[in-house]
Amino acid sequence: MYGLGIIKGLGVTLKHLVETYVDDFRWGVRRYTTDDGFVARQSTDTRGIFTVQYPEEKLAVPERFRYIPFLVVYDDDHPDHPGEIWCTSCGICTKVCPPQCIWIMRGKHPETGRPIPDPEYFYIDIDICMNCGLCAEYCPFDAIKMDHDYEIASYDRTTAHIFDKAKLSKPLSYWQKIAPSRALEEHLARETK
Amino acid sequence: MTMTPDDYSDLNNPDIPIPDELKSNIAITTLDRIYNWSRARSVWPLLFGLACCAIEMIATAASRYDPARFGMEVMRPSPRQCDLMIVSGTVTKKMVPQIVRLYNQMAEPRYVLAMGACASGGGPFKEGYNVVDGIDKFIPVDVYVPGCPPTPQALLHGFITLHKKIEGQSIMSVPWYKKGQSEAIPVPVLGPDLIDPRQGELIQAASEGEYSAQFETDENA
Ligand code: SF4
Ligand code: SF4
Ligand code: SF4
Repeated sequence: MYGLGIIKGLGVTLKHLVETYVDDFRWGVRRYTTDDGFVARQSTDTRGIFTVQYPEEKLAVPERFRYIPFLVVYDDDHPDHPGEIWCTSCGICTKVCPPQCIWIMRGKHPETGRPIPDPEYFYIDIDICMNCGLCAEYCPFDAIKMDHDYEIASYDRTTAHIFDKAKLSKPLSYWQKIAPSRALEEHLARETK
Repeated sequence: MTMTPDDYSDLNNPDIPIPDELKSNIAITTLDRIYNWSRARSVWPLLFGLACCAIEMIATAASRYDPARFGMEVMRPSPRQCDLMIVSGTVTKKMVPQIVRLYNQMAEPRYVLAMGACASGGGPFKEGYNVVDGIDKFIPVDVYVPGCPPTPQALLHGFITLHKKIEGQSIMSVPWYKKGQSEAIPVPVLGPDLIDPRQGELIQAASEGEYSAQFETDENA
């Protein structure tokens, strides 16, 4: 019989509509005013359909979410290397980056002029970066990681969207906060090495 | 936008004498605020998408993220009726003439939001033979949203960024109330390659220079 699929589809839509209101009755205003309500509304077992009221409430991103890369540095209160960058300017990330949006220059020792494992410049053109995560995948020193911050729209490409070393650097504690299980995994792997 | 008393004095209408103690001309700044408030809350986007980013734009336009909360739900299929062009996706050379023509057809005030890496800077196809690395080579872009693709929330953040820009504008200085018509952007020509008419003389000079140099070396040989 023709048209059966359409009726089924409309049935699904109707079910969502009804469920949205049924759950509203069960939760009352708590659903929209409390944190529990938000978590329940956005979870995968929620019933009904909801709008994410974006600037006021934000969806939690999964741990493996990828946006723009950032460079890991030690926290400022680290006992041995406060604020030191992990990157050794080996250049592997620049070579694997598919759209070639990373540009780095190895630093030189101020006296001897010999190369040192510390990038003098590190730029990522975030308007070219395709968020693939290959740089983070290939970096042998765990020095570049994928950030979760997606609120980076701005008015000018050349001044605001070419991230330099200072803008890319974020402390290790930030990485441990946004990706706790991966940070732990990497930490254990480094320890056993 | 925070304003200093100097900014207010710029907004004053010189035809109306204002006593010194009322220099922070309330009437005109309030008008600005109402004007921008109403514009920022009814930005209608143009209904068109170019590549994978368009899928994410469609997701943003659906009820889950609901741009109707910003007065942006009406995607107009005609450039005459819209204020915002979301360049969502890879800008191929074949598409550029159409995009520039649509931009020219939009009524001012008009805004352009480059969505995703492709539209902003070329993205993964940056050096592709058939792709333009950034729509800002042809039309002025107001907001750049990075990402490949930007998630719906990132796009909404781009919309909010645009609203902030609109709210910072002043009715006294916006270009569309200036005298005379605004210049249309010459539509690029797609031949064997994309030609931007604004660079016509440059291209001609370069090609002539190349040819004459070639002839000279030929004669000398
Ligand atoms: S981020 Fe990693 S891969 Fe890239 S240069 Fe630094 S150490 Fe090498
Ligand atoms: S995420 Fe991919 S595109 Fe972006 S900098 Fe890393 S390797 Fe390059
Ligand atoms: S930026 Fe990425 S998702 Fe958007 S059109 Fe380009 S390739 Fe597709």
